[in-house]
Amino acid sequence: MRGWRAVAVLWLTSVGCGGGPFAAGSFSTNWSDDGGRSIEILRQRIGSSRPAPGSDVAVGVTSHLDALVGIPLGEGTPWTFQHPLSSRPVVTSNVVVAAGSGELFALDAATGKRLWARPTGGLAIRGAGDDGSVTVVTLSSPQGKDSTLLAVARNGTVVLRVETDQDLGTPAAFANFAFVPWGNQYVSALDLSSGVEVARVVLREKTSRAWTTAGALYFGEMGLFRFDEHIQAASHNQATHVGLPARELPGTPRLFPTSGERIEPASGAPDKIRLYARPTAATEPLAFEDDRFYATYFRLVMGFTAGKGALAWVHTHPNDVIGGAAAIGALVLCDADGKITVLSAKTGGEMSQRSFDGPLAACVVQADGFTPSGTASDQGPLAAQLAKAIENRDLDLATAQRLLLRELATLKDDDATRTLLEVVSDPRTSPAVLGDARAALAGRRSGSRFMISALERHYDFLKDVLAPPPVGPIAQALAAMNETGAAPLLASHLLDPADTDEDVKQAAVALVTLGGAAEVPALEQFFGMYRDAPDDDADIADAVASAGQALLEHGGAPGRAVVDLALANPLTNAAAKAKLQAIVGALDAQKGEGR
Amino acid sequence: MQGFVGRRFASLALLSLGLSGSVPRDAFASADPASKRAAPLPVAVLGKVSLAKLKSSEPTEIKAGLDDARASAKGGLAAVPLIVDLLRKGLPYPLTVAALDALGDIESERASATVAWFVRHRSVEVRRSAVRALAHTGGALAVGALRLALSDGDPRVRGFAAAGLGSLRAKDAVGDLFVALDHRVNEAAVSIGQLCAPSECEALEGRLGRVPFDVVSSGLDPILFRPSGEVSDDAKVKLVGRLRELGTGETNRFLREAVGRWPKTGSARVRQVLEQAVLATTGSPTNSPHEAGGGVSP
Repeated sequence: MRGWRAVAVLWLTSVGCGGGPFAAGSFSTNWSDDGGRSIEILRQRIGSSRPAPGSDVAVGVTSHLDALVGIPLGEGTPWTFQHPLSSRPVVTSNVVVAAGSGELFALDAATGKRLWARPTGGLAIRGAGDDGSVTVVTLSSPQGKDSTLLAVARNGTVVLRVETDQDLGTPAAFANFAFVPWGNQYVSALDLSSGVEVARVVLREKTSRAWTTAGALYFGEMGLFRFDEHIQAASHNQATHVGLPARELPGTPRLFPTSGERIEPASGAPDKIRLYARPTAATEPLAFEDDRFYATYFRLVMGFTAGKGALAWVHTHPNDVIGGAAAIGALVLCDADGKITVLSAKTGGEMSQRSFDGPLAACVVQADGFTPSGTASDQGPLAAQLAKAIENRDLDLATAQRLLLRELATLKDDDATRTLLEVVSDPRTSPAVLGDARAALAGRRSGSRFMISALERHYDFLKDVLAPPPVGPIAQALAAMNETGAAPLLASHLLDPADTDEDVKQAAVALVTLGGAAEVPALEQFFGMYRDAPDDDADIADAVASAGQALLEHGGAPGRAVVDLALANPLTNAAAKAKLQAIVGALDAQKGEGR
Repeated sequence: MQGFVGRRFASLALLSLGLSGSVPRDAFASADPASKRAAPLPVAVLGKVSLAKLKSSEPTEIKAGLDDARASAKGGLAAVPLIVDLLRKGLPYPLTVAALDALGDIESERASATVAWFVRHRSVEVRRSAVRALAHTGGALAVGALRLALSDGDPRVRGFAAAGLGSLRAKDAVGDLFVALDHRVNEAAVSIGQLCAPSECEALEGRLGRVPFDVVSSGLDPILFRPSGEVSDDAKVKLVGRLRELGTGETNRFLREAVGRWPKTGSARVRQVLEQAVLATTGSPTNSPHEAGGGVSP
């Protein structure tokens, strides 16, 4: 603690160029809620001024952490800036702020030209904001405690510096004020000319970031508060706010890193498991642009409706997505291979792609005014998109694949059933999701024609059919749908040794409901062949009991005789016999009541 | 008799487990599978005591009855309905295997329908027994079940089925046997050799160079030794010529074995061609590249 302060003081005394006001008294905890009075005065002072659009750019960190590379999303040429890196770059307004080799520096985001550089004093970047003329940066000590706020003009002059033992979040700069979140609930506004904290607002949701986008200033972390005429009522939880709908997402992704989290220069799992969303224009009621928010999970990208959180599309990317930004009508992705891909917000179809020269360690995208052009590629129906995502054998994806399977199961159309059948039958399907896929298939109540068609397939070595269909889940679904037409095929699977014990058990259960006189010979054959099955074969014992029950249902007096004979035989499988005795007992009792 | 086939096709000969002697080593063996068996034993008709055991509910009694029936072979004909009834009502797996083995030894076609059930049994041991038994019970149902068994998941079941089809002279199954051979059911080669029509025999010869020599030659051997009424001397001469052209040590050994087993009453012309081919291939290199790993023993 003492060490870093000593270095920081040395750094602060070396800022030169006239230094800057050293503001004291800011971020005081000895403050009473002013009911929004100060922030409203500030808002009126700023008036109708709006933040200018930031540069639309993707900035990558090269794999050796020795250079920044930039690609403008619209017009402009790629750039490279060689510099060792110890922090993730921050793109704000039209600057890129980064640190490395003890130096804090800012680049022009459009060209990569260095704007200024200063010693870091051993501090690490926490966040940055910019209003087009001044860049505000929050930095933290190596221990993560105590913070420094620095405001630097384009010529490198430090116009403000503040040291505090508070935990400062990511600041924004707007209209010559620094808006600095801290304590996870406050945003203090500091006059960049005087360094005086002129206003403060308390927010009723965790807030660690301030930023400008879409022509407005926002605060938040979990959701977004807009700096508008309602901000004065923030302490009463009546500020203009938009949040993401509560829904299950793989890996618990976040819109932003949590406060105090040190962001390493190279991306990690949190960068691959992210949410992206963009607020609507400042002139419109606050909502999410395109009624979309997006989630990434390694190489899977999902688009959701912002209102209800319903899955709209799934994009399976060739490799892990490590950065991105929501744009107007699009989602811009940056992947580990150094490719920038623009997906349609509406469909998830690919609209365009650009590429860095090589793989990236990290990537940051800012898409403020960017509106993509071009036609999105056809992604096909959602069921097909889900199938593609689920069939990927990458074990990293299993968590998301299980969720997508559940999404697939919610689709009521026949195609979803066909897709589930393909997923379950595809040898590429990850074993980690196969059980869920079978359960989802068993729960289907549509698409029976695809299931019946699948049952026509049997293991056949000479025809190179080396996997039987998923008979068990199909049998469960068809029985629930009362598809009696499937009975002959189910009976044929009863006698297929290539089917699993579980599948045979479910086929036998289904035949109790779906079978008829035509299935009695197969039922008798099965019953005869396995009545004396070994006791340790639980599924087959259950199947025998079900086959016996089906014989009682559909086999008439001869069927009853077969079952009675088995009940009288000491060699009959004990478990099957016990179940059959219960079934026969219930049947007889039912008949007795009928009389 | 044991020379070439016995030493060089040891692995293939295993397929005839339960079918011993069914692959025609004798050049002019009868088409009747039963007559191809070793010296016929005197038929001992199964007694009432043994039949009574088969009506017992005691597993040990049933097993004893099945053993008696098996020992009686064809003499156990009276036991067939009882064994069939036992199988249809259900037996523990070991007794199921014993019952199927007994029906195979009794060789009654009446058992085929019931034995065919067990070609689809979940126990691979039961399926193997059923397929072996069908090769002896015979009939159209047996042939149909064996053709089905060519697609079984178990390689030994497939092998037994392929051999059984040859044993049952199931000429209609040759197409299936070729598919099986192309799926590495090597036992199919012998059966093809036993059953093939001229064009089919040529198709088997056409596998030389594509399929390991010991596999193809296991089928060429019965072709050479089939009666002239089934395979003409011209076809045999052509076959020998083709083998001679291969000019490998393996073909030389194969041809020498054939000459050694050639019947005295067999075609002198074919014998002469065989002898010339032996001379022409003497000193040939051990293996051609595609025959490497073919399992040839010195």
